[in-house]
Amino acid sequence: MKPKDEQKEDNVLFVGIDLGTSRSVICSSNGIQEWIESYAGWPKDFIAEQVVGKPVLFGAEALQHRLSLDICRPLERGIIKEGIESSERAVKEIIRHLIDLAKPEPAQKIHAVVGVPADSLKVNKLSIRRAVAEYVHTLMVVSEPFAVAYGMNLLNDALIIDLGAGTIDFCIMHGTIPSEEDQRTIFTAGDYIDEQLFNYLIEKYPNSKFNKNMVRQFKEKFSFVREINEQIRVELPVNGKPVMHDIKDEIRRACESILPSLVETTTEMIARFDPEFQMKIKNNIVLAGGGSLIRGIAEYLQNALKEYGTCKVTCVAEPLFAGGDGALKLAQDMPSKYWETL
Amino acid sequence: MFHGVMISLFTAKKEFKIRQDMLRGVYEENLSILGRGRPALSRRRSFLLKGILLSAVFSALAILMLDQHTGSLFVPAKPTAPISTIPVRLPPASVSAKLTPELDKYPLLPAVSVTPEDAVNASEFSAIMNSRNVSLMRMLGLKIKTIMIDAGHGGSSSGTTGKMGTKEKDITLDIAKKLKAHLIKSDLHHVLMTREDDSTVPLLDRVTLVREAKADLFISIHLNYLPKKNTNIIETYYFGSSDDKKTLKLAEQENAGSEYGLSDFREVVEMLGKTMKLQESKEFAESIQALLFLNSKKHDEDLQNHGVKRAPFVVLLGVDVPSVLVEVSCLSNPEEERRLNSESHRENIARYLATGIFDYLNKGARTYEAKR
Repeated sequence: MKPKDEQKEDNVLFVGIDLGTSRSVICSSNGIQEWIESYAGWPKDFIAEQVVGKPVLFGAEALQHRLSLDICRPLERGIIKEGIESSERAVKEIIRHLIDLAKPEPAQKIHAVVGVPADSLKVNKLSIRRAVAEYVHTLMVVSEPFAVAYGMNLLNDALIIDLGAGTIDFCIMHGTIPSEEDQRTIFTAGDYIDEQLFNYLIEKYPNSKFNKNMVRQFKEKFSFVREINEQIRVELPVNGKPVMHDIKDEIRRACESILPSLVETTTEMIARFDPEFQMKIKNNIVLAGGGSLIRGIAEYLQNALKEYGTCKVTCVAEPLFAGGDGALKLAQDMPSKYWETL
Repeated sequence: MFHGVMISLFTAKKEFKIRQDMLRGVYEENLSILGRGRPALSRRRSFLLKGILLSAVFSALAILMLDQHTGSLFVPAKPTAPISTIPVRLPPASVSAKLTPELDKYPLLPAVSVTPEDAVNASEFSAIMNSRNVSLMRMLGLKIKTIMIDAGHGGSSSGTTGKMGTKEKDITLDIAKKLKAHLIKSDLHHVLMTREDDSTVPLLDRVTLVREAKADLFISIHLNYLPKKNTNIIETYYFGSSDDKKTLKLAEQENAGSEYGLSDFREVVEMLGKTMKLQESKEFAESIQALLFLNSKKHDEDLQNHGVKRAPFVVLLGVDVPSVLVEVSCLSNPEEERRLNSESHRENIARYLATGIFDYLNKGARTYEAKR
């Protein structure tokens, strides 16, 4: 687009940020792509600060030192969470850290597009803007699934389903910026799977020791729906001794717990459009977000929708960076006159 | 070949146009977040809005006409003087000492568009029904077991929309969820919501939900919109009211130990129900209005108290139990819209509503304690 050339002259760094419940991503016009777990943690006291050696820690490092930190996962369930002040502070720290990771040159202007869970946009627009505004020159916020769609050139006749940790966001693209009726959010998402899996494992192995973070890692490593021909065994301590546990059934049950609402909402979304348009959308359903890595989920959805006619469900190639890439593309395509007035 | 090139050129041009429109849409959306533009309603949305408005008008008319024939829902107004102001009672220090400043500092404004008090039928209960200071519900020893929270609007019904694009339905849902979380903490009541997500729930379905859940208390949360006034107001509505006399305080004492739930007491409710609902709803409204206003005033010096009022809201008409509709804030005020977009403000509103509910629920206990 022409305006891009004009923008380049201004020594501007464009960044696309995907502010997710579980992971946050930055993609910048200097080619850097980075991600962190959406955690921020502050040392609980002076001694803890000596131990961890930093005033604030992020992502995996924060999790690793979680016993010494006041840790915050600010975007739980897709919105800036309660606790409010610490959550807003955590979002700010995460943004600052992401911007640092993008390595802007001194005095370089930063124009950012931030993709956030669709529900966040409704009541937390200002909080998000406030959190980001300190570290960039100008910014725009958009819904995550829209950023994914824009980045993948799915501008028309497509349904994007962003399976995140806090929420699953649905977004129908029909050649215009999606209105509220084109978007839906449900909360039975990745965190819900974690909770289910945790409960199933406690029920099955009451004497074994494990925590929610371990359970989340099991899910990320082994998640699947329907059937797979492999054993899923993990090592968990029982009375201090490591013991192998079979968790295949529990993984499947937990992952499948999100399917009824996923299928129901998908059919509801499609059914709202006229039949001709329905056909086109059904043949262009794209799964994004970490949940799209659940093995067999695209096939399951495709199969479940078969009774409504032929359909095609695919997954994005890089679920982690699809939102950030889309946000970056939006930032780069945005005419400079729009940036100036914001 | 030439034909193929033309088609691809045409496609590229079309895609370019779509992208341009989308980029402009993103820009305008962000301008509206900053309060510098108003999000345009899509044609479909404005059509839906008109449809909703029309159906609401027809529903209201139908109910009014039905009522004129049966006289069952609400009794025609007595030609008494309208309520101009309704004094709001100061809750006791034990309920919310930290949250409650002195009430007298904040005069009540004259009520706007207030309907006169209802006449009360069933003459054999006139003494009971005219009692001003005694709650029939407590007199009969009925308990509040289940509380139903109604987040106003939802789904295709957005309610009002602020200049930044903030929608009433989103704010009310968030406040309702926060209120639920506060009420659950007390572990004393079963708390339900008419909607827990952005779904369309027709008014009559909300009433059905309240009835089916055998809810004992109902609070509907809304936001005001006053396009011609740059003010922020709080007001609370109930349907019905009554005057009581002290002669029946004894009965309150006698029934204090009853474990019956309000919804279990159908026959009594049918006989005394209308009066009780009016009475209790008024008390409930007073508690909500007092605590919400007094505490919200701390954050907004210009906040106005429009007091407790009566109005024929469908959602209040159809509910048999104490019920109020509270306009917790005013979305037409740009500064207030900004505040509503912060978690802490919504959290505060939910906290003050919870305090109002607890205040109402504790009124019986206070009466009992005072007697001892």
